[in-house]
Amino acid sequence: MSRLDIEKVNGVAIARVNEDIDAANAVAIQHELAGALGPDAVCLVVDLSAIRYLDSAGIDMLLRLSDLLRHRRADLILVIPDGSQLKRLATIVGLAKAITIHPSLRDALREASGPCHGATLGA
Amino acid sequence: MEAQRPRTHTLESTVSSDRRDDLLSLADASLAYMSLEDMLSELLDRIRDGLEVDTAALLLMDEDRGVLVARAAKGLEEEVRQGVQVPLARGFAGRVAAEHKPLIIDLDHYQVWNPILRQKGIRSMLGVPVHVEDRVIGVMHIGTLVHREFDEDDVTLLQLAADRVALAIDTARIAEQRAVTAIMQRSLLPDELPEVPGMRLSAKYLPAGSGVKIGGDWYDVFQLTDGRLAFVIGDVVGRGVLAASVMAEIRTALRAYLAQGHDLPRVLSMLNELLVTMGRKRGATLAIVAVDAEDESLETVTAGHLPPLLIDPDGHARLLEQTPGLPVGIGAGHDYEASRHPFPSGSRLLLYTDGLIERREEGIDTGFERLTAAAQAAARLGDSPLADGVYRALLDETPLEDDVALLAIETLPLGNPLEMTLRAQAHVLAGMRKTLGRWLQAAGADENELFDLTLAISEAATNAIEHAYGAREASFTVICEHDGPQVTATVRDSGRWRTTQPPGGGRGLEIMGALVDSVNVSSDEQGTVVTMAKRLNHRE
Repeated sequence: MSRLDIEKVNGVAIARVNEDIDAANAVAIQHELAGALGPDAVCLVVDLSAIRYLDSAGIDMLLRLSDLLRHRRADLILVIPDGSQLKRLATIVGLAKAITIHPSLRDALREASGPCHGATLGA
Repeated sequence: MEAQRPRTHTLESTVSSDRRDDLLSLADASLAYMSLEDMLSELLDRIRDGLEVDTAALLLMDEDRGVLVARAAKGLEEEVRQGVQVPLARGFAGRVAAEHKPLIIDLDHYQVWNPILRQKGIRSMLGVPVHVEDRVIGVMHIGTLVHREFDEDDVTLLQLAADRVALAIDTARIAEQRAVTAIMQRSLLPDELPEVPGMRLSAKYLPAGSGVKIGGDWYDVFQLTDGRLAFVIGDVVGRGVLAASVMAEIRTALRAYLAQGHDLPRVLSMLNELLVTMGRKRGATLAIVAVDAEDESLETVTAGHLPPLLIDPDGHARLLEQTPGLPVGIGAGHDYEASRHPFPSGSRLLLYTDGLIERREEGIDTGFERLTAAAQAAARLGDSPLADGVYRALLDETPLEDDVALLAIETLPLGNPLEMTLRAQAHVLAGMRKTLGRWLQAAGADENELFDLTLAISEAATNAIEHAYGAREASFTVICEHDGPQVTATVRDSGRWRTTQPPGGGRGLEIMGALVDSVNVSSDEQGTVVTMAKRLNHRE
């Protein structure tokens, strides 16, 4: 296990974050996540279900990442389990208004391979 | 005193006895107090006068490059200034060194390597090896501008002087090695152990014997990216500068790999591959322990190192069971496995190297029994840090046969109020959250309250760190206090809040406001103080 575990399934990059995100590592994690997408993927799923804390530096980072991906015509999907502390925080700051959030990786992958992304999948 | 000395070669026997006296004074006490430089200069002067020659020179062996390098000279000062180097077995000095015996030459019939000798107009030369025990460390030679037949007496006297030089140089080299050793040893161990609230850390390092050879033992303490504290202890095979350089490589590699967020077993595998790839032919044993203050647990991984000693809060000591792993640096492809153990408040852990328990003529079990007894006694007493107590019990009056490194971690209850002074750098945040989590649990916070207060304080701390603008020595303080269910947290820095909002539009303040009952920010010349309050919903 390291800070990020990354795998690719049918043009979707899945990054599982294993370390709390704060001002100490937000920039480094942003670079690693942006790099995880690769040239051919159209969707990045960032799985936050293993982490405990995400502070404002982490939220700002996710918003920047979302903008960056939009410029590259790719989508960002977050996995944040229902009932988790992170979900409460996401609600407080209104994160769902800017980034798609799913409660589980399975739900996220269903959306990632849905009709709006289907055109480039399976390539 | 030199007035009566004969300047001719006619009365050989009397002359030689006078000259011998003069040269024997080489061994007099005054030389012992001179610097090496002054002493060599004085010696060469005495040789030139005593043997009535025109030049005297000393060349020392550079073993790595296989050459003799001019070190000091009289009448041939250019030789030193130009840094003359004579390859071994070539030229006059090279031959003296290679053959390890005196050599007399006549330059009319001999091809010398060094053109300076011929330019000077030297006609006759005598050279002798300078040796320490059986090893040639250099060459001394004398020369005359007129033809001269050097005799057995000359050879004996010059060899006498060369032996005196050998002694002085060897002594100086040992002193230099001792100094290098001390500097390296200091640079390989932490300057000081970190101050961690709720933990008492202590360490001891004791070199064996004379301390001339640097030991292969080391320890290190630092914070992992996930906020846990890492404790490392290790032992590189052998001693001396080479062992120390491998130790330095291991220390750096470990910190680098752990900073990348890799887990402990993976880090040991990576370290092992690195050492094998670099062709380091020295194995090392080491143990890494990561202590999670909040979960009250520890994770350990070992590469052939002795098991850490755990003393539980009742004062009972036992060796930690762990999955054994092979020493690093011996062969590629080893896997390592972590073990996890509870580490409740009041527990102590002792890491050590084999010099602590191994004694000649006794089994290792006896050593473990002695260690267990000593650690239990020291813990029961508890008046001094554990490493000091164990050291006093086991080693104080025993001459060390091997180096010893000792590193102890003792968890203490956190106080109320909890006060932390932290460096204004973002990497302290994860460790601060661990300590806050531990304190809030003890204060009776539930899972949500713990998250809310920890995150709110973390946000205020992030602001404090930003205000320091990366200033090197800047710090901030966090004070938490609870009076029954009422928790107050204060974060104080010495900077002013920026007037322009950071990107994100003051999201930190927004989060703080949502997570705690009240937030108050006040700023003056001294700095900024954030005070937060939250009432816990005590359920018990």
